[in-house]
Amino acid sequence: MLLEQTGFVDVVLSNEVDVFSGSKHESDARDFETRGVTVFARRA
Amino acid sequence: MSSPEVGVARVDREALREAIAEKYAQVATNPEIGFHFHTGRPLAMRLLYPASAIDALPPATIDSFAGTGNPFLFGDLRRGEHVVDVGCGAGLDTLIAAGHVGPSGRVMAIDMTSEMRQKTTEGAAVMDLKNVDVREGFAESLPVEDGWADVVISNGVVNLCPDKRAVFREMFRVLKPGGRIQIGDILVHKEVPQSAKDDIALWSG
Repeated sequence: MLLEQTGFVDVVLSNEVDVFSGSKHESDARDFETRGVTVFARRA
Repeated sequence: MSSPEVGVARVDREALREAIAEKYAQVATNPEIGFHFHTGRPLAMRLLYPASAIDALPPATIDSFAGTGNPFLFGDLRRGEHVVDVGCGAGLDTLIAAGHVGPSGRVMAIDMTSEMRQKTTEGAAVMDLKNVDVREGFAESLPVEDGWADVVISNGVVNLCPDKRAVFREMFRVLKPGGRIQIGDILVHKEVPQSAKDDIALWSG
């Protein structure tokens, strides 16, 4: 949403990746369902 | 009492920057001590970087890699392109991007943490990459002229910035019309309580 409000278009998200499993942050990440992702967007 | 603007958290920004810089200075200089997040080659493999791309990089660059995505999942960058790496860290993405764009392209690598800038500078020197320019700066105020970049990359940085709207405005400003962002970050699917948003220790991990 912020990207589009800024003027970006064609926003695409990659598949999500569980980047915190096995780390010391795993518990917090699980609590908030936190995932890694890569975002593509284009300046209009 | 008014609600905070969307994308803007209420933390002491200077204190937050200091805490993050301190944490990432450790990642740069002592990656072996371990952190609350994954680092290094195992993380790069989890994020689907090709092993051949990682193997081509200096070991010190790989060891201090921290990120949450893979800016190259949407394709390699093109020869001659101008790239800005926002929060370049140890330079893993910077060095890969420099290889993609070649000698006719340019990568401007920006980070607020001096130890990380040093690591990126050393990595570029080891690989004899002349098309990398490492600069001090913040994601909210990039030291880049308007409309210079074809591509902005970043990896695990926006989530560390309390004013995400300002970060995206800066990325927009430095891009040419039609330019693109390819940035790794995190998505949080559950509402984070304000008390957690205000806790600098949780931001810096």
